Amino acid sequence: MDNDTKGISFKGTAEGLVILIPNEMETDLVMSQIAEKVKAAEKFFRGAKLNVIYRGKKLSEKEEKQLVKIMVDNSGVTVEGIRHELAAKPVEKKRPANISGIPIRKIFFKELEEGPCKFVRGTVRSGTRILYEGNVVVIGDANPGSEIVASGNIVIFGALRGMVHAGADGNREAFIAALKLAPTQLRIGDIITRCPDTSEEIEFLPEIATVKDGIIYVEPL
Amino acid sequence: MGEVIVITSGKGGVGKTTTTANLGTGLALLDKKVVLIDADIGLRNLDLVMGLENRIVYDLVNVVEGACRIKQALIKDKRFEGLYLLPAAQTRDKNAVSPEQMVKLCDDLKDEFDYIIVDCPAGIEQGFKNAIAGADRAIVITTPEVSAVRDADRVIGILEANEIKKPMLLINRVRPDMVKKGDMMSIEDIIDILAIDLIGVVPDDENIIISTNRGEPAVAEGKSLAGQAYQNITKRLMGEEVPLIDLAGNDGFLSKMKKLFGFKSA
Repeated sequence: MDNDTKGISFKGTAEGLVILIPNEMETDLVMSQIAEKVKAAEKFFRGAKLNVIYRGKKLSEKEEKQLVKIMVDNSGVTVEGIRHELAAKPVEKKRPANISGIPIRKIFFKELEEGPCKFVRGTVRSGTRILYEGNVVVIGDANPGSEIVASGNIVIFGALRGMVHAGADGNREAFIAALKLAPTQLRIGDIITRCPDTSEEIEFLPEIATVKDGIIYVEPL
Repeated sequence: MGEVIVITSGKGGVGKTTTTANLGTGLALLDKKVVLIDADIGLRNLDLVMGLENRIVYDLVNVVEGACRIKQALIKDKRFEGLYLLPAAQTRDKNAVSPEQMVKLCDDLKDEFDYIIVDCPAGIEQGFKNAIAGADRAIVITTPEVSAVRDADRVIGILEANEIKKPMLLINRVRPDMVKKGDMMSIEDIIDILAIDLIGVVPDDENIIISTNRGEPAVAEGKSLAGQAYQNITKRLMGEEVPLIDLAGNDGFLSKMKKLFGFKSA
């Protein structure tokens, strides 16, 4: 029966039983297939109370009643209600974690200076990724090709040439500071910026990057 | 007890094999017993650069698989006393050898030789892991190009993670005229990023291409600039302090080269 693939299918959800009915299926066939399926799972349905939600082909009120009766008669289930639903409700999408892969939070600790802190000694080299829930301090350089992602602040006691993401869980109040700020990319919270392309050699000049009015500003420390 | 030195770079084509051949020959010329291991299984080159291709009978894979004894696979270089080559297999791939086998091989060779120099394949996959497995020290080769420096940085990170501390940096194919014009990264720029000790700088030199094609390492005749640079690096490798090319000595080196280029154009 090639109807198998295109036929009725049942799905249990938190809201109740969902029945998928192909749009082009004839009502009689719908009823007989549902009867069959319910009978087959009689033990499962007996004594249960549930809501029925059906998707796909829209049935008339009379047909809806008939469907409920079929279910009740064939299994002894109690149907509390029946309704039609256009399509699967989009699964509530978690706000996809931000670009750096840390889930966004709504509440952060305000006193950023007091959070946990990770110290990294030595050069953070290309291909290295440091991910930390808290503040990160690097005693050394962060080279191009490296990634440092922290939910708190990031301080580089050296030259910053790689990518850093401070406040990676969405906190725009985080800051990034370095003795030489020449990153490939700066990210704070959900804001991304990159350095101007001019590659004039800057001397070591400690700078700090913070967010004001949704824009990342870099200032001398 | 010998020392295992791996020559690596991450990026291909920066001069690992050429450096291996020249350092090995240089050490042999200074009366050391040296074996060169070609770890680039499937893409073997070191035998060509050494001019020993037609003498291969057994190779590295034969040795680790126990098909022959180490002694049988070692090719003695008749031009240089004390220099041997352990060639790679050409018809196998990197998975034919495991890091553990390489460690054992290096340990066995340490009893016989003063220096075991491993020519590492490009990349950071299995072949690279094999090559660095038995190493005591590492020389990282880069050229003054951003891509080569980036790869070198990655490789240094992996070496450090594998407990091969203090890798040394060799900057190859430097063109002082281009550096002066600001068209090429300077030695200082590269050291600034990689932050490891410099063991030497080799200028871009067409003699290298000639000697490579002939299978005669440039270090042997020592007339070319690159050959001289390799001689100095060899001495530094043995712990000798050869002045030059450190940040301070850089000027002297550059002006010397400039003079030479000047003579050429005049």
